[in-house]
Amino acid sequence: MNKQIRQLALGLMTLYVVLFATLNYWTVAQEEELNANIENTRAVRREFDRPRGPIVTADGVVAAESVPNPDPDAEFDRLREYPTGDLLSNITGYFTLSFGSTGVERVYGDVLTGTTTEQQIRALGDLLSSDVDNSGTVQLSVRNDLQAAAKFALAGRSGSVVVTEVETGAVRAMYSNPSYDPNTFVNLPFEDAQEAIVDLQNAPGNPLLSGAFQQRYMPGSTFKVITTGIGLENGVIDTTSEFERVSEWVPPQTTDPIENYRGSVCGGDLPEVFRRSCNIPFAQTAILLGPDRMVDGVGDWGIGEALPLDIPGSAASTFGDTTDLDERLPLLGIRGFGQNDDQMVPLHMAMVAGTVANGGRMMEPYVVESTYDHQGRVLNDTDPEVWKTPISAQTAATLTELMTGVTEGEGGTGQSVQLAGGQRFAAKTGTAELGLVDDPDRVHAWMIGFAPLEAPKYAISVVLTDLTSTQADAATGGREAGPILKAMLDYLLTGPGANVQLGGPG
Amino acid sequence: MTDTLEADLEPTRLSRRERRAAAPLAYRRRNVELSLIILAAAITAMAYTVASLGSNAEIPAGIFGFVAILLGLLLIAHLAVRKFAIGADATLLPLAALLHGIGFVMITRLDDTLAGLQSLWSLIAVATFVAVLLVVRRVTDLARFRWTFFAAGAIGLLLPMVPGLGANINGARIWVSVGPINFQPGEFAKVALAIFFAAYFADNRELIAAKTWKVGPFHLPEPRFILPVLVAWGFAIVVMVGQRDLGSSLLFFTLFVVMIWVATERVGWLLLGAVLFAGAAYFSWTQFSHVQTRVDIWIDPWSDSLDRGYQIVQSLFGLADGGLTGTGLGRGNPNQVPEAQNDFIFASIGEELGLIGGTAILMSYLLIVGAGLRTALRTDREFEKLLAVGLTTIIGVQAFIIIGGVIKLVPLTGITLPFVSYGGSSLVSNYILLALLMRVSDSAARRIGEVPDEPTPGERWAAWKLRREIRRDQKRAAKRSEAAA
Repeated sequence: MNKQIRQLALGLMTLYVVLFATLNYWTVAQEEELNANIENTRAVRREFDRPRGPIVTADGVVAAESVPNPDPDAEFDRLREYPTGDLLSNITGYFTLSFGSTGVERVYGDVLTGTTTEQQIRALGDLLSSDVDNSGTVQLSVRNDLQAAAKFALAGRSGSVVVTEVETGAVRAMYSNPSYDPNTFVNLPFEDAQEAIVDLQNAPGNPLLSGAFQQRYMPGSTFKVITTGIGLENGVIDTTSEFERVSEWVPPQTTDPIENYRGSVCGGDLPEVFRRSCNIPFAQTAILLGPDRMVDGVGDWGIGEALPLDIPGSAASTFGDTTDLDERLPLLGIRGFGQNDDQMVPLHMAMVAGTVANGGRMMEPYVVESTYDHQGRVLNDTDPEVWKTPISAQTAATLTELMTGVTEGEGGTGQSVQLAGGQRFAAKTGTAELGLVDDPDRVHAWMIGFAPLEAPKYAISVVLTDLTSTQADAATGGREAGPILKAMLDYLLTGPGANVQLGGPG
Repeated sequence: MTDTLEADLEPTRLSRRERRAAAPLAYRRRNVELSLIILAAAITAMAYTVASLGSNAEIPAGIFGFVAILLGLLLIAHLAVRKFAIGADATLLPLAALLHGIGFVMITRLDDTLAGLQSLWSLIAVATFVAVLLVVRRVTDLARFRWTFFAAGAIGLLLPMVPGLGANINGARIWVSVGPINFQPGEFAKVALAIFFAAYFADNRELIAAKTWKVGPFHLPEPRFILPVLVAWGFAIVVMVGQRDLGSSLLFFTLFVVMIWVATERVGWLLLGAVLFAGAAYFSWTQFSHVQTRVDIWIDPWSDSLDRGYQIVQSLFGLADGGLTGTGLGRGNPNQVPEAQNDFIFASIGEELGLIGGTAILMSYLLIVGAGLRTALRTDREFEKLLAVGLTTIIGVQAFIIIGGVIKLVPLTGITLPFVSYGGSSLVSNYILLALLMRVSDSAARRIGEVPDEPTPGERWAAWKLRREIRRDQKRAAKRSEAAA
């Protein structure tokens, strides 16, 4: 029996060696990944009782702050509150006891608690003062007044409004419906918070995900800006290009014709087909470019990459599956005018408009402008960076001309939208027909643009995602998204929003 | 004839000095044990202080009382070993004390109320340890009562299923409630069954190994030799599945397979065991939703991390948060893991003491396994060998099953971590197990000659009775011969 006992010893030892190896795996090899997991609240719990600084909007409104817990017997001395409710929650994110943190709360947690190396070194110098709380402040580039204006303009309809600053890429407004109010669960114990979060996850449209930068939608005709840009860059079209006036066109490899919007006859030179938003010319342009140049081109516009926003979870726009596209030219054509598998993130569409306005440079979007230490001294200012340069300044100028035609030219799809005070602006509308079997009339209505035309300052993208369009009552980008775009730009350029003081830690 | 018998019955009573001279090795062993125990107590006391500093930034108020009681308890256990099992292995008791101490500190840190109960259970456990050493003076005494242990094990396993007596706590019907007292008879049944298996296999190992029964191409042991074992095993499995206690079921099964393999020296039993286990596992996976749940959250706890996978995911988060050195006692959040004081106590240790602390726990179990199997090798009696193997397997495999479950190496099955987890039944039964293992170890030392073998009080009494009878007989014979003369 001794032989078996020795074998048993060896066997049990092997089991324990495996245990040791597994323990190593979790505590050392997987340590970083597990600690970064959004549901890992260990670090949050440790942080929860530390002083935590506020998140302040560009116009000085407190979006998140820690307040003393009114219950003296509670486990924690502080509560986290979000005075702006659901206005900024998709940007600030939330800081909960039981379910980790998201958004700015997550990325800038070290600044807010004062644990960055720089803050700690600075706090050393302050040892002599009695001030031990070195929690920092995060200032957003986003404006509370614009968020409120966007929410008001959407009037409860599902959709997003994004406003970026043309030269810097700073996000000034980024609101989407549905949103959520973090106050309803952040300070609750585990079970209650879990119930609230699960309810939100299961709610229609998932309010926890921002429709503006964490979801993507079929772009419809707004995509023609990109197709035109690629066509111009590659020299396959120019402003003198002429397109036949037809109501349908049969692309290669099929017998199924492509139609214009609602089967209308549409054609002419490039400015005309652009402002009237014909479909066939852009299908022809995409097929003329061919799959390789088209796929490279959309890549230059950043399609296929997650947007480089400074808070986590940005979605990536997509041009659909591009394998064997040379054998599926009709699809390439249809995608050329923003249907089929094209899907764009609303923030990305604002960046597209911004690129045209900014001489072809696509800026990296950001929501955090500056960070400050506990004494209000600047820790870091965000430096604007160019993300992509999909088009030349010349192409940008041409596109600006074409997009101005949309709002000013004869038959322009955005002509119905005119800004207060005669402010000129450039835009493109879009009406994406989803072609859903169970909901054939469902459309996304888009409008993107930038203003003022002479010296572009703001780029904007508006999308309404839950519209029904019928023959009798056509919901189009110009008609549905246009008024929201107008409301935002009017407020910003000539309304009360024009004189709002920005900057400073509040 | 009478002369030799008389000499045999005359007890060799040694003075303390003679005994000390006759067994230098045993005394050295006890001194090593004493110093290791003091070390374990020191580690526990320091951990206790640090945990309190970590969570409240205060030195615990009753620290001196705590150290006094801790040392007192351990010294009582040590003196009992010195008195009743002087030749026993020197490392077993200190290792158990260390595990028990670290477990107690963790439980105190997790829940003050439970800590009070656990200290009461610790008292009872050490008292039981001493009592077992005192009562079980010869290992062979256990073998004599094999059928009693069989019945006790069987009844123990069945009790929780008796209506009105059994209680369903946390989804497993493994509890028995009598008035205010709840206990898990399964914890004791495992020791009883190990004794039964050891005795039965020691008697019948050759007959089982002979395989004289031919069924088609297979050679099997005679049915009448294998039947009681199969009954015992099947009983354990069926009852355990009925009680939804997968961990204990796996433990009993492993215990059975390992013991029959070692006893018969036939590796075929291991293979058969593996096949039977795979079959049973597959069957229960298809039949029972709670088994499917366990497997699902083992394969991917992340997909249901807020509900069914919550416990294991939180456990892994804790381990990762602890990293190499741990967050420090009292400074982590082990309460995030449901049942942290119980099945998941290893996760708490991993979180606050890190990879280093977790490895210390693993090493402690491995050293206990080593000491137990060394005992099995040292003794030359089959029953003692098998008993040592069985008891060691219980500790080693039970710790493996639950630690492996907590760190997602194997599917999670609810079972306590020996000596560390909260719980009276578990603590007391493991101290019984420890006492028996040390008894076997002591017995081996006596037979090797490291310790002079003195009769136990029971044997002395039996001898005294025998001598009295012999004298009576002699007197009667003398009277008869006088009368005859």
